[in-house]
Amino acid sequence: MSFVSIRLPSAGSEVIDRARPVTFSWNGKKLKAFTGDTIASAILANGDHIFGRSMKYHRPRGVLTADFWDPNLFVQVDDEPNVRAAHRLVENGMKVTSQNVWPSLKYDVKAANGLVGRFLTAGFYYKTFMKPAKLWPAYERILARFAPGGEVDLDTPHGYYDKRYAHPDVVVAGAGPAGLAAAIAAARAGASVMLVEHEHQVGGHLLWGSDDDRAAAAGMLTDARNLGVEILTNSTVTGRYEDNWLGILQRNHHIAEERLIKARAKMLIVAGGLIERPYVFAGNDIPGVMTSGAVRRLITMYGIKPGTRAVVLTANESGDAAVADLERAGVEIAEVVDGRTGAFVRSAEGSGRGTNHRLSAVTLSDGTKIDADLLVTAVGWTAPTSLLNMSGDRPVYDPAAARFFPGKTPDNVLATGGMVGDGTHDQLVAHGAATGTLAAGRAAVVQHRLQAATARAAAVDGPEPDYPEDLRTPLGRDPHPALFRSTTHGMVDYSEDVSSKDLFGAAAEGFDSVELIKRFTTATMGPSQGKLETVNTVAVLAEARGETIAEVGTTVWRPPYAPITLGALGGRVFEPVRVSSIQSYHESKGATPILAGQWIRPEHYDDPQAEVTNTRTNVGITDVTPLGKLDLKGPDVPKLLSLLYTNKWMQLPIGGVRYGIMCAEDGVVLDDGVTARLGDEHYLMTTTSSGAGGVWNWIENWLQTEHPDWQVHVTPVTTGFTSINVAGPNSRKLMGRVVAGVDLSNEAFPYMNVRTGTVAGVDDCVMWRIGFTGELSYEIQVPAGYGLHVWEALLADGKDLGIAPFGLEAQRVMRLEKGHFIVGQDTDGLSKAPTTGMTGLLKLDKDDWTGMPEVKWALEGDYPHIVAIQPTDPNCVPEEACQILRGPESNEIVGRITSSRYSPTLNRSICLGQLSPEFAEAGTELTVLLVNGERVTAKVMKHHAHFDPEGERLRG
Amino acid sequence: MLLVPCPNCGPRSSQDLTYGGESHSRPDPKTATPEEWRTYLYLRDNPSGWLVETWYCSSGCRRWFKLERHTLTGELRDPILPGSKTGVASDEATNIQGGTK
Amino acid sequence: MADAPVFQSPITNPTPAKGSLTLTDESELTKVSVRGAHIAVSFGTCEQRGDVLVVGSRPDEWTLLGPADAVAAVVSGLDLSGFASTTDITHSRLMIRLTGDDAARAMEKACGIDLSDAMTPNGAAVGASVAKVTCDVVRDDVVSDGREAVRSYRFLADRSFGQYFWDALRDCTAEF
Repeated sequence: MSFVSIRLPSAGSEVIDRARPVTFSWNGKKLKAFTGDTIASAILANGDHIFGRSMKYHRPRGVLTADFWDPNLFVQVDDEPNVRAAHRLVENGMKVTSQNVWPSLKYDVKAANGLVGRFLTAGFYYKTFMKPAKLWPAYERILARFAPGGEVDLDTPHGYYDKRYAHPDVVVAGAGPAGLAAAIAAARAGASVMLVEHEHQVGGHLLWGSDDDRAAAAGMLTDARNLGVEILTNSTVTGRYEDNWLGILQRNHHIAEERLIKARAKMLIVAGGLIERPYVFAGNDIPGVMTSGAVRRLITMYGIKPGTRAVVLTANESGDAAVADLERAGVEIAEVVDGRTGAFVRSAEGSGRGTNHRLSAVTLSDGTKIDADLLVTAVGWTAPTSLLNMSGDRPVYDPAAARFFPGKTPDNVLATGGMVGDGTHDQLVAHGAATGTLAAGRAAVVQHRLQAATARAAAVDGPEPDYPEDLRTPLGRDPHPALFRSTTHGMVDYSEDVSSKDLFGAAAEGFDSVELIKRFTTATMGPSQGKLETVNTVAVLAEARGETIAEVGTTVWRPPYAPITLGALGGRVFEPVRVSSIQSYHESKGATPILAGQWIRPEHYDDPQAEVTNTRTNVGITDVTPLGKLDLKGPDVPKLLSLLYTNKWMQLPIGGVRYGIMCAEDGVVLDDGVTARLGDEHYLMTTTSSGAGGVWNWIENWLQTEHPDWQVHVTPVTTGFTSINVAGPNSRKLMGRVVAGVDLSNEAFPYMNVRTGTVAGVDDCVMWRIGFTGELSYEIQVPAGYGLHVWEALLADGKDLGIAPFGLEAQRVMRLEKGHFIVGQDTDGLSKAPTTGMTGLLKLDKDDWTGMPEVKWALEGDYPHIVAIQPTDPNCVPEEACQILRGPESNEIVGRITSSRYSPTLNRSICLGQLSPEFAEAGTELTVLLVNGERVTAKVMKHHAHFDPEGERLRG
Repeated sequence: MLLVPCPNCGPRSSQDLTYGGESHSRPDPKTATPEEWRTYLYLRDNPSGWLVETWYCSSGCRRWFKLERHTLTGELRDPILPGSKTGVASDEATNIQGGTK
Repeated sequence: MADAPVFQSPITNPTPAKGSLTLTDESELTKVSVRGAHIAVSFGTCEQRGDVLVVGSRPDEWTLLGPADAVAAVVSGLDLSGFASTTDITHSRLMIRLTGDDAARAMEKACGIDLSDAMTPNGAAVGASVAKVTCDVVRDDVVSDGREAVRSYRFLADRSFGQYFWDALRDCTAEF
């Protein structure tokens, strides 16, 4: 028989607003519905009852539970795939299409899968499509077409996803009667409360109950609002982590697509209610088979008549109430099968093709066959204990009540409502209220402790209150028949198309523990994540193994409780950006930026090779602000420097500068830099740019944990000084024009010295004579607020001296011309100090320095050497990280190129590399393997410096 | 996300701190054998049970301290600042959200 | 170049906050880090001494914030006996003030610290990560003309984050 859902007359219980119609399209058809309809109720009202096709077998599917967890109702809405049609509200202009069908819902060709079902049993992808391996690419292409789910549009505009932190005293997950009562009681007791409800309205099962039920829900909502409870509807507590760290997802927030709240709650109350379990029998996924909750919701909230002639299998009050609701809605009741008497449904059959497929008859346990287009089952409940399980609890099965109950939760997590027991409305509310009061009392104790323990908090009032014991009267447990599977085989996991037959088969193959069978068959791994199918899976497995449900146990639940979009998880991104005070100049000159960690730096202004030439000919300036700078004060600074660096520091004179290498405790080079003595007990240390933060942490660790008796104060001043490097033959001349208070002659201010003075009218500048570039150079450290001023002064005063700025790239070329290694570029995570070649700095006669033992042992053996390398062909610039081979015919790697550039000063390519000691002698000919596969020759040079190895320019 | 009891700031989310790993003592660099030194570098007890570990309050007070944590139950004991005795203040678990204190 | 040097804030583009909240660039204020002195302001709190705010930033470490002369006066009056040091960090740090009734709610979008009155009362000081930048945060409510104090937070962070940090805070105010 063909079938059409119809809209029932208006009722006070409905959530739709018939005064505000909406229009939308469904698979191309324009349809009408009302504000407040879900997409599912809207489509049903218009007469369609098939929503999509199942994952594997492409069986036509209709409404099963008519709520968030319905596994059959995933649709595409505009560019958004996998939308739950019984939860998403319909909106004007929505374009809704079915998923996983081709060419259409009606004539889905992939339904042919049903005919080859024998080959597509659970785990088929471990067995079929395996051989021959060379056909895997073809198999992949075919299988990809059959992958379920909607379409992703790569051009979809980015949405805005928000994030927020919160610190509520109590979070209540679930706003049914017990959850509402708990929130109200906790708020009354003075706690700050957040109430999180999955659905669009609070009330839980009260919404499809009686008028009194609805009035009670409305009353509690008003109370909660008046007490200042923060109520979040259409929101889910997605996960509970250590110490009640919670993820709460707010869908459709007013400023964002979704908002993720990261909350630290003192107490969590879980009041998720009960989820109705489907019954397992042949034909249980035929459209027209629904749970009692589904029909009650459709009738009461959406005014939908779900069928014309019904069979009802009822084993509890919900089923009984469904009979009454169906009668009120004008549905003919063909038969009420009372599950409490031992009767049950054996199988169901359908008729009709494509989108007309529908239930047509039901066969009962006694063999009677009844015509019907609607079969309603009420065979029992599952407690969604996931959040409790995430807090460490394993649920316990109660055979008399035929469901799992919470076991033991930690002190800061409480459960209430249907999850923990049964009762009248008043009993549920009373238990909820007692839970809320208890939570508020415990939260108050935690608050007291937090305040007492937190330095910045307000002082506490009196002594710590006693931690309240849990003295709640437990709810009772109604007996319930154990109705899991009929005498036939049916769907257990609707979204993964796993049947009870598949589970029996898997168990027989040896996948006999619940964890194994889950992973092998994928049962419970679909979008409902076990809410509808875990217990049936366990029950079927118990049957197959001849065990009890309690013996089989359950799988472990992990976050998220409900699927969460990647946008919510990662969409609100804070990406700090650091710039120096000269950034506006770099930008105005159109410098090409380079990202170095969090810093944006100028890579080059124009041609970096020209920048090199100009600096070596005239004078250049570069912004090196990101280089780490640490201010060290105290009488024990020399001891600290001696500990951190491999060389000696006890005798550095005031005004002196020394270079040092730092090792980690495994002897590996950690950082390097120059340190200056500015005063008696005042030093300034520099580090590499990327090492700045790490070295500060490293130093604090040594001072605090190993040498707390040393008197040293460390303050990072990396960005407090704008650092400008003035380099080139004309640099002294230029400095003379801007510096006051310092004798700049070579005798008065030699290489590796530091002075303080005034630069371009700015006091308290620190000037260093050091030279990464190998030119006569000065590094000026200017208090950052005046950095740009000094930079501009240098450019103006140096015009006739041929001044031009140079960027990071030019600096790298120049340092490479001088053979200066860069930690982390020419050294790596395994390079111990001897590899740098600076063996003269490794003072093994010192008492202690970090990494000394390993360096000592390394020196006794072999270690890679950093050497300067020049390719035979001066125009060949090998890519960095090219391998160096034992010989032209060999494939054995003996080293690699670590730095490589073309030098405009020498008009040829220059490199640094690491080599095993066998090859590190000056003059050795090397074979370099280029990225394109070509092998070229190169030579090891005598010095690291390719240019001015005696350092005459530096020391002039 | 663990609430770590910084002895100066008070309890803070673990993302405000940097984990220093299992607490271990440094051998004398002048006399240690390679085996002793490498044990210090790489080998840890990794107990199933009470573990003494180090934390650095990097977002807050910038101080290092030790904490005893039970690797199975998540119980914590009072934190210890460097310079204090290496023993623990009390045997009781002191998780701030727990029942006993 | 005869131009006298003018202090440049790291916040090159101080676009005003949206809605009811205000952002103020205070980066020009003198800031001095003091270690080891004997200052009777406990860790986690701050105290206004005339024009200078004395912040108990870390155990045994204080930050003095205010106009140059006033801060110099406070420094000269400090008991620096024993091992103590001062370091001028005026140029090392940006300083921004966020004021408004919704200041805590705006901060909640970028900072995981409990900002309730019990945990972060007026006068509280704490190191925290705000918009992924490690900051010193001080709650320093603004009192004006005998009206009720308005909630206000002052942030000290590394100078180089200047414009990014201003923009991030401003983004958090957009909702209000």
